[in-house]
Amino acid sequence: MAEKQQNRCFQEFIKGLIRENPTFVLALGLCPTLAVSTSVSNAIGMGLASTFVLIGSNLIVSLIKKQIPEEIRIPCYIVIIATFVTVVELIMKAYSPALNRALGIYVPLIVVNCIVLGRAEAFASKRTFVHSFMDALGMGIGFTLALMLISIIREFFGFGKIINYPVFYNFHPALVIGMPAGALLVIGLLLGFFNIIKQKK
Amino acid sequence: MQNRLKVSVSPHIHKPVSISKIMWSVNLSLIPAGIAGAIIFGFSALWITVISLITAVTTEAVIQKLTNKKISVKDGSAFLTGLLLAYNLSPSVPLWIPVVGSFFSIAIGKMIFGGLGQNIFNPALAGRAFLMASWPSYMTSFTGPLKFDAVTSATPLALLKEGKPLGDVSYMDLFLGLRGGCIGEVCIIALLIGAAYLLFRGYINWQIPFTFILTVGLFTWICGPRGFLTGDGIFHVLSGGLILGAFFMATDYVTSPLTINGQIIFAFGCGLLTAIIRLWGGYPEGVSYAILIMNAATPIIDRFTKTRVYGTVRY
Amino acid sequence: MDLGQFLSIFISSVFIYNVILSRFLGLCSFIAVSKETKPALSMGLAVLFVISMSSIITWLIYTYLLIPFNITYLRTISFILVIAAFVQLLEILIRKFTPGLYKVFGIYLPLITCNCAVFGVAVLNSDMFFVNNKAVPGSFMYSLFQGICVSIGYTLAMLLMSGIRERLELCSIPKSVKEFPLAFIIASLMGLAFMGFNGFKF
Repeated sequence: MAEKQQNRCFQEFIKGLIRENPTFVLALGLCPTLAVSTSVSNAIGMGLASTFVLIGSNLIVSLIKKQIPEEIRIPCYIVIIATFVTVVELIMKAYSPALNRALGIYVPLIVVNCIVLGRAEAFASKRTFVHSFMDALGMGIGFTLALMLISIIREFFGFGKIINYPVFYNFHPALVIGMPAGALLVIGLLLGFFNIIKQKK
Repeated sequence: MQNRLKVSVSPHIHKPVSISKIMWSVNLSLIPAGIAGAIIFGFSALWITVISLITAVTTEAVIQKLTNKKISVKDGSAFLTGLLLAYNLSPSVPLWIPVVGSFFSIAIGKMIFGGLGQNIFNPALAGRAFLMASWPSYMTSFTGPLKFDAVTSATPLALLKEGKPLGDVSYMDLFLGLRGGCIGEVCIIALLIGAAYLLFRGYINWQIPFTFILTVGLFTWICGPRGFLTGDGIFHVLSGGLILGAFFMATDYVTSPLTINGQIIFAFGCGLLTAIIRLWGGYPEGVSYAILIMNAATPIIDRFTKTRVYGTVRY
Repeated sequence: MDLGQFLSIFISSVFIYNVILSRFLGLCSFIAVSKETKPALSMGLAVLFVISMSSIITWLIYTYLLIPFNITYLRTISFILVIAAFVQLLEILIRKFTPGLYKVFGIYLPLITCNCAVFGVAVLNSDMFFVNNKAVPGSFMYSLFQGICVSIGYTLAMLLMSGIRERLELCSIPKSVKEFPLAFIIASLMGLAFMGFNGFKF
């Protein structure tokens, strides 16, 4: 029985990585993905910040889910999420101001990141504390990994750099990849590629 | 009584034979413009065109091979895409530009939608938009006509956009193609010869190009630089990629509406957008973007102008 | 109040700086709900309602609460709360009066809250129509009108996309790109097309 529960917890974690990856499968949180995935360092920073908020909000929501009246649940979730976002914002301002500057308005916009609100609504409001934690962890890391993958590609093809180091001389990067239209193209092609792999299995 | 009336709504099944006849006729009709481009701009124009063609055809063949489909490059549609893309490029672009562009046009503009007949956007123009967004500096440097010395000079529309004087470019110069510009767009008379052939054979209809060109001419005439009715409509009609676009790209069956009404709306939209971008937008030329935007609108236009199948409910 | 300004707001919000295809806000719902025309139009209508109402209320809050008390840094959180409240109201109404529509939307209705377009318009209004923390004359009407026009632009983009995807339903798309991958690629090509509007100057 305990083993089944452990297995179940692990399932909730793992699904956020691949099978229900928030970016590639659920198509959530696209606005920050497009904007922030132009460099790998930004991607990691955003991913971790979002993961923190996700975990915090999922935990609190699952703890007090019985107290929240259903009619006004969304504003309540927003308040909870906004609190964690403010915490993250302040921590970032204090300990990594460069990252804060790079991410700009997208840090406060974690409040409207569809992933955070979406998981609070669809999962944490209905499940136990531990499962909500696992779900948040999985989703957050899945989001971070997706961001990293996209930004590695975009930084290389769109700017000719990897983690801010120029790769070749005389390389003419395709500027469009650094733009939102290019980001959509990269995501679409990645998705197609993943589908091909899935079909081969 | 035999039912001789066939009422059907798209999509229709394509018969490869007639498609290929049409495609190769269009290819043929574009040859004069290519020859003119090579004469006016020199060998670089020729190499760009050839490389673009080879890449397009090869890309389609390879993708079809990899996905276990029948290789259909004989139908001439990949050839056409390669040709049109090259005609939309400046003669001074480095040779890897048509390679990347052609590859994008075929792979993303066409094959990913499932191949011929299913793409939404004109593949050559999709490729051009991709190139334009990726390498704007290469895509916007042009050379003068009949000067084979690689000195850059601006196109008439670019000069107009920057408010600079046009020098001594006359209507006849524009008509013959004695101006800076893209390989296949400059020689109006060569393009018109090809277009006349296609119209004569009935492979393109006159409504789309006519509406498109008329709209651009009228709009630019009405919204002139010094007030109402002071615009130079004729200049606008003869400049940029309008003739090439109106006769050879807006008329593409796959990416334009099915009914005549729909096509007129489509062409009007293209003309309006072209004129607006030329007059007030950031780019000097808007034909390719206008057509792409109207390509996106074509399914909706079709939905609202479709001939109603008898007996069904109106939306 | 200047008719030219209204015209310019209309043309830039609907076409030139289209919220989805040029500003790339509101993409989650764009990719997810644009598969068929009817849900796409319903979503557009819902967004119209939410954006219009929130434009009004956020303007009022900004003008009479945030500026006088010098707490404009609370803009983000107060705007979002307003939007969340309105979406909740909308959900209650839809659930009560048109439960079929409620089923169609599924999880995407509460997600209008985090639709970047809605929040983006509120922020845009407060940036464009307030100078030095004072409301520009006519800024209320401009804000409301801009909200309405942005929603029209949103609906237009949804309509275009749903038309395209409905037509592609009849085609034999390669299996690996069916659904989402192709939707992203179409959005990318539409974005490329709309780049023609860059650099617009009236």
